[in-house]
Amino acid sequence: MPTHPMTLLTIVCEAHARGRVLDLLRTTGAQGWTLFPVEGTGAQGGRPADIPEYTNLQIEVIVKPAVATQILEQLGRDFFPRYAMVAFTSEIQVLRAEKF
Amino acid sequence: MIDAIQANLLSPAVLFFVLGVIAAVVRSDLRFPEPLYIGLTIYLLVSIGFKGGVAIAEAGLSDVWLPSLAAIGLGAAIPLWTYPILRRGGGLSAVDSAAIAAHYGSVSAVTFIAATNYLNAIGEPFENYASAFLAIMESPAILIGVVLGRLGSGQLSPSGAATASLRSLVHEALCGRSVLLLTGALVVGAISGPAGMAKVEPFFVAPFQGVLALFLLEMGTVAGRRLGDLRKVGPFLLAFGILIPLVNGVLGVLLGHATGLSLGGATLLGVLSASASYIAAPAAIRVSLPEANPTLSLTASLGITFPFNLTLGIPFFLAFARWLYP
Repeated sequence: MPTHPMTLLTIVCEAHARGRVLDLLRTTGAQGWTLFPVEGTGAQGGRPADIPEYTNLQIEVIVKPAVATQILEQLGRDFFPRYAMVAFTSEIQVLRAEKF
Repeated sequence: MIDAIQANLLSPAVLFFVLGVIAAVVRSDLRFPEPLYIGLTIYLLVSIGFKGGVAIAEAGLSDVWLPSLAAIGLGAAIPLWTYPILRRGGGLSAVDSAAIAAHYGSVSAVTFIAATNYLNAIGEPFENYASAFLAIMESPAILIGVVLGRLGSGQLSPSGAATASLRSLVHEALCGRSVLLLTGALVVGAISGPAGMAKVEPFFVAPFQGVLALFLLEMGTVAGRRLGDLRKVGPFLLAFGILIPLVNGVLGVLLGHATGLSLGGATLLGVLSASASYIAAPAAIRVSLPEANPTLSLTASLGITFPFNLTLGIPFFLAFARWLYP
């Protein structure tokens, strides 16, 4: 079965950034996303993630490589200075290119 | 005074809070599942809101409006004097000062609920409609704080981005879970009145103390995990987190007295004025003043002021009200 190259963009951020990140994904044309609460430590210290308001989120979105670049640029410009956040991409293969 | 403090410190709610702090300090693996935490908050907010709504139906709006106006005015005004204290006294940046001022003008529902529980336990009557003060004091200070922060850091421009951010702030401040639940339950309680109360009383009234004790156990662990951050905030915020609530609380009791509340009601207005938000304000401030350092405001409100009010503040404001009322 033929597969198509896509980019998996992973964003780990504080829960307070949730609304703005999802807005960004929508406006840049991402067709869907997956979100789950996570915990961990990072450059801005540990996040106990004990109650939903203080938790960390991991957001995963599959997009075309060009869209991933655009989202990363905006994250770097508008989000990284303000929120506790990391973002990274990986190249993946999907079956149905039209879904993304 | 000593009796009042003792009665509070030896109540199950406060003892469970202390147990939670100990659990966090000794790094126990005690941890509430998230859905339980959310369930307990929903129960407490709906229960306190519903009781308040029923009380409004019984008392009538004519009794409620003046102290409500006082509550909303005090909430909005608290950032106006805490901001310059933080800015000049503490030497903090404009956005950090504004963020902390917003936290202290806004209120802590749990502190208020614990205070009602305490008054019930010692048999001091109070106006149940005081829950309305809780609902209306949550947001004004956050809006004032954000405006102060923008003014102080020279960001108050009528650009599109600022307008969009203001819109999301108003949405955050007025439609957040706690304000929505509390206000909604107040309205439901006011419409259904005492007859409605009779139907839900076994669920919303009898188990209340137990649910609060369980919730404070969890909040003890949440506060306890942040005790380590006390080292990062310095002695100024430590003193601020205890002295400012004392001043604000005394003002609240005086204002309650002046607007005709009972001794118990004035105590509750004092507790609300003294309390600092650690749920609604952090969320709104992260959206609207993201440059502010959340460790400062959260450590002050959750790590210092919340435990202080819960243990010593509440009985102190009652003692002050007792001294004030003949």
